[in-house]
Amino acid sequence: MKDQEIDGVLKMPERTPHHLAPQILRRIGDSIKTSLRPVRPLPPGWVMTCGLVLVCAAISLMGAARAGFIGFEKMDPLERLLIFPALIFLIWMAGSEFVHAMIPGSLRRISSGALLGFGCAALLIVFAFLFRDYRIDHFFSAGIACLLTGFVHAIPASVLGWLLLRRGFAVNSVSAGLAAGTFGGLAGVVMLELHCPNFQVAHVLVWHIAVVPLSAAAGALVAWTRRFCETDGGFSSE
Amino acid sequence: MHPDSNLEILMVRYQQGDYAAAADLIERTGPQLHRFFLAQSQSRADAEDLLQETWLRIHRVRHTYRPGEPALPWFYAIARHVRVDHYRKSIWTAAGKQQLEAMTKEVAALPREFDHSDGLDMLLAPLSESQREVIEMMKVAGMSLEEVARATSSTVGSVKQKVHRAYKKLRVTMSAAGYRTEQSEELS
Repeated sequence: MKDQEIDGVLKMPERTPHHLAPQILRRIGDSIKTSLRPVRPLPPGWVMTCGLVLVCAAISLMGAARAGFIGFEKMDPLERLLIFPALIFLIWMAGSEFVHAMIPGSLRRISSGALLGFGCAALLIVFAFLFRDYRIDHFFSAGIACLLTGFVHAIPASVLGWLLLRRGFAVNSVSAGLAAGTFGGLAGVVMLELHCPNFQVAHVLVWHIAVVPLSAAAGALVAWTRRFCETDGGFSSE
Repeated sequence: MHPDSNLEILMVRYQQGDYAAAADLIERTGPQLHRFFLAQSQSRADAEDLLQETWLRIHRVRHTYRPGEPALPWFYAIARHVRVDHYRKSIWTAAGKQQLEAMTKEVAALPREFDHSDGLDMLLAPLSESQREVIEMMKVAGMSLEEVARATSSTVGSVKQKVHRAYKKLRVTMSAAGYRTEQSEELS
């Protein structure tokens, strides 16, 4: 059976006029009439993405300023030249996808899950290429401290990003939460790269990068819980 | 010119508070969205409720439409969200998912009370929910791949894959149901 033949069968309803009682349409019109006021549309996507990048920069710079730019000072020029542009690119990408997730009918270039995977893989490649210290001193104690520091900075970045886009509407809140968490996690990684002087490969690959999936998972969990409560709340109030 | 470009102009006027534009939009998208809901709901009344709920939601978030962007996927994205929300509530209210699945299967198998009894629902029954949704948007609503991707918040590649898989299943189902013969007879 050819695709054209399947098309022909599937397009039958399109050719059939669909009847809907005019009073239903009138009723819908009446229901919105009283609250019809001019509204200000959302700004262009790039403006919102720029806002998110600024939020990310502010959080990570403030965090590093408070804790010290020890990591940045210890890095050689090549490391600075590769790590920070890569992080800015990933933050722009995550911010842009976060914006798309908050606007219905936006074209997604990458899903939130793929964004998370791509972000982690890109960071793995960059860090594995640059760092050559294969010792594993204080792997857990130093690592958990970095993970927590990164996560503590990821939370305000995600929350502020969410506040910046609060006029948007997430048609898939879990996906939006995942994108918000990924975005915040990257802010946490920037802070760690500016601050952490521990350049051991295992430490950076495991604990610094782990901030991103941890934050993304937290974002998705918060969004899921909120959606669950809203839907359940709707049921309870019936 | 895009066939739905009028929708975009109407949306901008709707955002400016023009009631005539809002009424025109309701009249133009209402039947399409109603058909979208009918395809997977139990009754006409259910579909009408969903349509009204969708329009209330559209009204509340009308500022999220950005001038210059295609309007139809924006409508469908919100309609889809309302439908998903509705089914999620149904799952929790109707004593678990299993019951709902059984109900959906029953509904798909039984002749509907509404008017587009053209066998399409029976035909699409073997498809997964996401495949059925994509096929409905593309073939029934006449949306392009990109528009469907926008409406379902997914990528064009993912939509292509769903369509490909759906066609594969449909080819088997339709061949088994003898559609080929009917088509050939019609042609001859």
